[in-house]
Amino acid sequence: MATRTDNEIRELSPEEWDRLVDEKARKYLGMSGAEFERRLNAGEIDIDDSPAVTRVAMMLPLHATPK
Amino acid sequence: MPHRSRTPAEAVEHYRGQTVRLLSCVTTAHTTVGGYHASDLPHRLSLSDGDPARLRGEQLTLDVTEQFRVFEDAGGWRVEIVGYLYALEYEDRELVAYHWHPRGESPITWPHLHVGADIRVGDRWLGKIHLPSGAVGLERIVAVAIAELGAEPLRDDWERLIREAGAQKADPPPVER
Repeated sequence: MATRTDNEIRELSPEEWDRLVDEKARKYLGMSGAEFERRLNAGEIDIDDSPAVTRVAMMLPLHATPK
Repeated sequence: MPHRSRTPAEAVEHYRGQTVRLLSCVTTAHTTVGGYHASDLPHRLSLSDGDPARLRGEQLTLDVTEQFRVFEDAGGWRVEIVGYLYALEYEDRELVAYHWHPRGESPITWPHLHVGADIRVGDRWLGKIHLPSGAVGLERIVAVAIAELGAEPLRDDWERLIREAGAQKADPPPVER
């Protein structure tokens, strides 16, 4: 059964998503999105380090290869 | 029973519609989604651009980001959640956070839970411990926010939407030993 909702859905292109991640990394972590992604992927930052880190990290496309 | 679609885009459209309807039980915040095609890297869906969304009623906020992939099986195209962050905060402090980030550098690849408790366990804080949780659906987070934490439901049919969201789920991932 269809159920109507008026909640807005925004669709972002990959470039727009990158900009959103950059904005959140600067807002919550004080660094650019690119720097955060590099440090996260290098293991310098633990994804569970703080709520803010997890919040931004989960907005990145995590590596395709599971451990 | 998971929904099957004829195209990847249709599958994502169905997934995002279901997710937004579920979230509309507790928030009017917008949802951001990227990616309608099959891809090696997961796509993402976030509530309120990744910011905590304030719920009506108690001083609660909700964080939601899901990572998903679109794939085809014998029944057609469908979406599978491959990672998530669901967190509830009270008065801007994290109460509980459900994490699943099976890919990437973290050795903690299984679904887990963090509780926002200032309890020391030896030289560790309980809030930093990864408590095993099993895979948790967003509908359970919405349900606990309303039924147990006092968030005010924004629609009368919230119980039905939660039931329907749970019924759409595939079997839980197998337990590895």
